[in-house]
Amino acid sequence: MFSTELVVQTFISGIMIGVLYALMALGITFIYSIMRMINWAMGEFYMIGSYLQYALVAFLLGPDLWWLAIPLSAAGVFVLGLFVQWGLLKPILRKPPEVRDDYATVVTLALLLLLRSLATGLAGPNQFSPGSDLPVVMVGPMPMAGARVAAFVFALAALALFYLLLRYSWYGLALRATSQSRVGVQTAGIDVLGVDRVAFGIGVALAGLAGALLAPVFLVYPTNGLITTVKGFEIVVIGGLGSIPGALIAGVLLGLIESFGAAFIDSAYQNIYGFALVLLILVLRPTGLFGERAREA
Amino acid sequence: MEPALETIGLVKRFGGLLATNDVSLKVDRGEIRGLIGPNGAGKTTLVNLVTGVHPADAGEVTLGGQSLRGRGMHEIARLGLVRSFQVTRLFGSMTVRENLMTSFLARRDRASGDGTEQTESMIALTRLGPLADTQAKKLSGGQRALLQMACGFMVPGTCYVLDEPFAGINPVIKDAIIDMILDVNRRHGATFLVVSHEMAIVRRLCRQVTVMMEGRVAAQGTLDEVARLPEVIAGYLGKAME
Repeated sequence: MFSTELVVQTFISGIMIGVLYALMALGITFIYSIMRMINWAMGEFYMIGSYLQYALVAFLLGPDLWWLAIPLSAAGVFVLGLFVQWGLLKPILRKPPEVRDDYATVVTLALLLLLRSLATGLAGPNQFSPGSDLPVVMVGPMPMAGARVAAFVFALAALALFYLLLRYSWYGLALRATSQSRVGVQTAGIDVLGVDRVAFGIGVALAGLAGALLAPVFLVYPTNGLITTVKGFEIVVIGGLGSIPGALIAGVLLGLIESFGAAFIDSAYQNIYGFALVLLILVLRPTGLFGERAREA
Repeated sequence: MEPALETIGLVKRFGGLLATNDVSLKVDRGEIRGLIGPNGAGKTTLVNLVTGVHPADAGEVTLGGQSLRGRGMHEIARLGLVRSFQVTRLFGSMTVRENLMTSFLARRDRASGDGTEQTESMIALTRLGPLADTQAKKLSGGQRALLQMACGFMVPGTCYVLDEPFAGINPVIKDAIIDMILDVNRRHGATFLVVSHEMAIVRRLCRQVTVMMEGRVAAQGTLDEVARLPEVIAGYLGKAME
């Protein structure tokens, strides 16, 4: 029957990939909680992160400095996010507070198509791999590809940094307050569109970071963000839209379910197991594990 | 001396409804002005125009002689014009202390430190000490109103626009809010425009009141003066008396 060793291995690999999924979902849910807008182009920022990582490693820094390329790629996506908010989203959100902001989400749909076509146009429909000269690492009883372990460690560090920023800085306070009441923060003298800009930058940088980290594992090509975006949204439904703990816990949960499903049922259907969980959650608890039915002032 | 707050011919139309029609009023420095009128008279619309929630269709607002045209809500708040809402706009999942700190962070300056001192003094003033680390959404309606007021006082403003600060609140908290208004008025010479239906409180706080009806300024004077005016009585009781 199933050996303990296999269960432990499955568990570890589930957690490791789950944290990466959580990064993606956190970006989606964070942007939503601040801007009240779904960013459909999340996977494209993931894609850009992976291209940046590839370009930096292949042409500029070399494979030895892959670890330096990762924060640089994430920072590049952050800066791109600032410009996107400034140029495309802010003009739409600059309206009296009662006006619904549905148009902004449509802009992100257009952005999705634009960025994906741009990637195909610039780099062609090819697959790239930044390669990884990291050795295989023993995680407990189990050998793991070095790139996966590194991705896990970087993701944990990014989550810790995100938590510290949100919890202990003035900017974190402004971000948390904005997620509670966009009118309230303006009354307090906070420039809500300025908060949006940073929030959008951080949110897409999380996706870009996931892209850079997973580039050696899932490769670099124009539509590589698709699967992770779908998973990001699965997690957001499971965890509850707008809930940060929900994104983290549901992310790890999805990683575990996929991992166990692949090991003990059939690995061909790996991408299906998450959807089963989504359906189950929608039946039992439509707001998600940590979602709120309505917001209050 | 130029008025602390002045509106000049403010017009705001929502579709076919003329919510404010050529509203001009002046509030002197250090004055506590009452703004009364029946429901639907345009009081809240006026507050929203003054604080930049809505742009005016015509007319202008000046704060200490400075035009507020084209400025957003947060810029107006940073200029020292602070408002409160009829329905409190607190940060529900954040604690009382965090709510106070948020009101501090954007309006602080170099001299004001890290806000701990102000937060503690506001907690002491409002007697919310036992609830300081409670989420704002768990407070009672009165406590929320009190907290909202305290948020406005974290960094002393020059001018406060309070929309129904006493609505649906128990008498003890009403007194606490009145004391806070009088205290800030006395110590910092802050100007107030207070929208209220509570005539006893308006009489206590305001030497002068402005009466709005159907989007216009209908009268101005002491509460007793305006209460005797036939058009004010008619406005409050409807036109049945004619």
